[in-house]
Amino acid sequence: MMDRKKRSRLMQQFIFVGPTSLFFFVIVLIPFFLGLYYSFTSWNGISQHTSWAGLRNYLHIFTKDPSFLNSFWFTAKFTLFGLVLTNLLGFALAYVLTRKLFTRNVLRTVFFVPHVIGGLLLGFIWQFIFVRGFASLGAATGWSFFNLPWLGTESTAFWAVVIVFVWQNAGYLMVIYISAINNVPKGLLEASKVDGAGRLQTLRHVMIPLVMPAVTVCLFLSISWSFKVFDLNLALTKGGPFKATESVALNIYNEAYTISRFGMGSAKAIIFFIIVAVISMLQVRATKKREVEL
Amino acid sequence: MMRRTSGWLLSAALLPALLLSGCGGRSDEDGVTTVHIYQFKVEIAEALTAMKAEFEKEHPEIRLDIQTVGGGTDYGASLRAKFSSGDEPDIFTIGGNNERDMWLEYLEDLSGESWAPDVKPLAAEQMTVDGKLYGMPMNLEGYGFIYNKDLFRQAGITEKPVTLSALRESARKLQDAGITPFANGYQEWFVLGNHNVNVAFAQQPDPAAFIAGLTDGSKTFADDPVFSQWVDLLDLTVEFGNPNPLSTDYNTQVTMLAGGEAAMMQQGNWTQGQIDGIDPDLNLGILPMPIDDTAEDNDKLYVGVPSNWVINKNSPVKEEAKVFLDWMVTSDTGKRYITKEFQFIPALDSIEGTEEDLGALGAEVLAYTDKDQALTWNWSRLPNGMPNELSSSIQGYLGGKLTKEGMLKEFQKNWDNLSVQ
Repeated sequence: MMDRKKRSRLMQQFIFVGPTSLFFFVIVLIPFFLGLYYSFTSWNGISQHTSWAGLRNYLHIFTKDPSFLNSFWFTAKFTLFGLVLTNLLGFALAYVLTRKLFTRNVLRTVFFVPHVIGGLLLGFIWQFIFVRGFASLGAATGWSFFNLPWLGTESTAFWAVVIVFVWQNAGYLMVIYISAINNVPKGLLEASKVDGAGRLQTLRHVMIPLVMPAVTVCLFLSISWSFKVFDLNLALTKGGPFKATESVALNIYNEAYTISRFGMGSAKAIIFFIIVAVISMLQVRATKKREVEL
Repeated sequence: MMRRTSGWLLSAALLPALLLSGCGGRSDEDGVTTVHIYQFKVEIAEALTAMKAEFEKEHPEIRLDIQTVGGGTDYGASLRAKFSSGDEPDIFTIGGNNERDMWLEYLEDLSGESWAPDVKPLAAEQMTVDGKLYGMPMNLEGYGFIYNKDLFRQAGITEKPVTLSALRESARKLQDAGITPFANGYQEWFVLGNHNVNVAFAQQPDPAAFIAGLTDGSKTFADDPVFSQWVDLLDLTVEFGNPNPLSTDYNTQVTMLAGGEAAMMQQGNWTQGQIDGIDPDLNLGILPMPIDDTAEDNDKLYVGVPSNWVINKNSPVKEEAKVFLDWMVTSDTGKRYITKEFQFIPALDSIEGTEEDLGALGAEVLAYTDKDQALTWNWSRLPNGMPNELSSSIQGYLGGKLTKEGMLKEFQKNWDNLSVQ
């Protein structure tokens, strides 16, 4: 009797978890370990033979390849601004759209839609907007803001990528924040009102501590999105001008496919993986501490 | 019992999905063999389909399956993906030199083919290893300064400038006549990183040796006199060029010349079609790109092979693939397609190109080649990824971010990074 029950549970687990684990193995774990192996070789991505290179790729990256560090610096800066701006905007939108506005359902959809469009497509659309759209707006209004060479100089190209990234992702975070804000017990909000707290005080001392779990999730998501940004700057700037907007992911892609050093690209990817893993862990630990349990 | 069955059913349903990616066998139905072709030249895709029909009519036992991946998509990456997924094409296209070496273990030796001796030496060299020819050059292309002969006449220039001083003199005359001398499309990485800087490599006494010297450290960019002279030419084009060269793209550049706004642009014969689309009556020629004042070694165009047809050594149908390549360059139909439909400058001596087919620019490139006044294309010899880096550094120089010395130092730094395999 016991045995049958045990077996049936095993079978259930197999049915429900089995397919997922299988795919996880085939498309995540195995490629990961293959990548780890290639990072110690000098494979060019084509040849049937690979030769062992030991730690040479890793040494090369740190001593002879200025572009990787450059792209890292760009990605770090980008993550910082992308993270702060998407979360601020996402939260602000959520805060406004949980009030009693009669257009709020329409507006929620409008702000969420950019996330549904793929990054590559968005990049091309915005490239058109920056190059053609802004130019004609500039001609019509005479505002210097529109007449900047948006994708042409290093600093404006950086902001161009940030703007598109925020526009794309703030809506998604908004949805998470909306559900978190809706879950804040009405009683607590009313109690703070009765106690004489102003709107800002309520926000600061009641609302924010209670939506902290959502902040953890949103920070985690936006960090991993902005760290891995690839399609946006590929379509928008191709990493230019003068390599100013080359993200780490784009640098890795170029290393493997343009420069044909697959081993080197894999080594970069492994380094990238370790750094992202450490940062994500630190972030989750830090925000977990601030969560308030009811 | 019920549960167990559904479990099996589920795994059975999943299995084909996994296996599907693995199969791609070549089936020979009713004695017809299919040859799979993978190529990147989007411009000829349509004409290639028409040619396929003619070939299949003459060779009913062979069917061609042509896949064109190019234009905006990354041909190199997709070709690699095809090989690593096991779905290897029988005929595909690659560049010479570095790419030849990367793919060498997949390439069929074509030295024994009937057309092999007819390949022009300049075109054969980039696909040859140890005396063996591993590919059929698709065509020749050449570049220099394309110029508008009528605007030159209008500015009172009677003699074709072939030295740097003469070019400067012509540019001044054009400017005085109210004509923009140069249309510079320096936003495009290939205009700078492939074509422009190639002048400095090609003008070396032995480009291949110079490139090897850069890699082993016996040569440097900073100490090389030719690179220094090449910067003079670059400066000249900017001094007498359109405003904002760094945000001028290929289309804008070609339009400026074709619209009669500018008198010269650094481009090749591949722009003929686009120029004709704007103004078919322009009177065009190609000027050399001189870097100093000795006429004889500056009166040259830069001619090379953009791509080659190669046959996969492991293909089960490589004999049929050879039949197709042979047909393309020996049959009258094939030859007609190459010159008239693709409008290619033929890379084989056995195919004749007339000005009527190739246009003025193509005919001039062919004439320079046959007079032995052609210098080589060297970007396929540089470390992979180098042209993009060269272009970035030159853009940095043109944008005022780098000095001349700083640019050459940047070249060196990137070379030292990328030349390590």
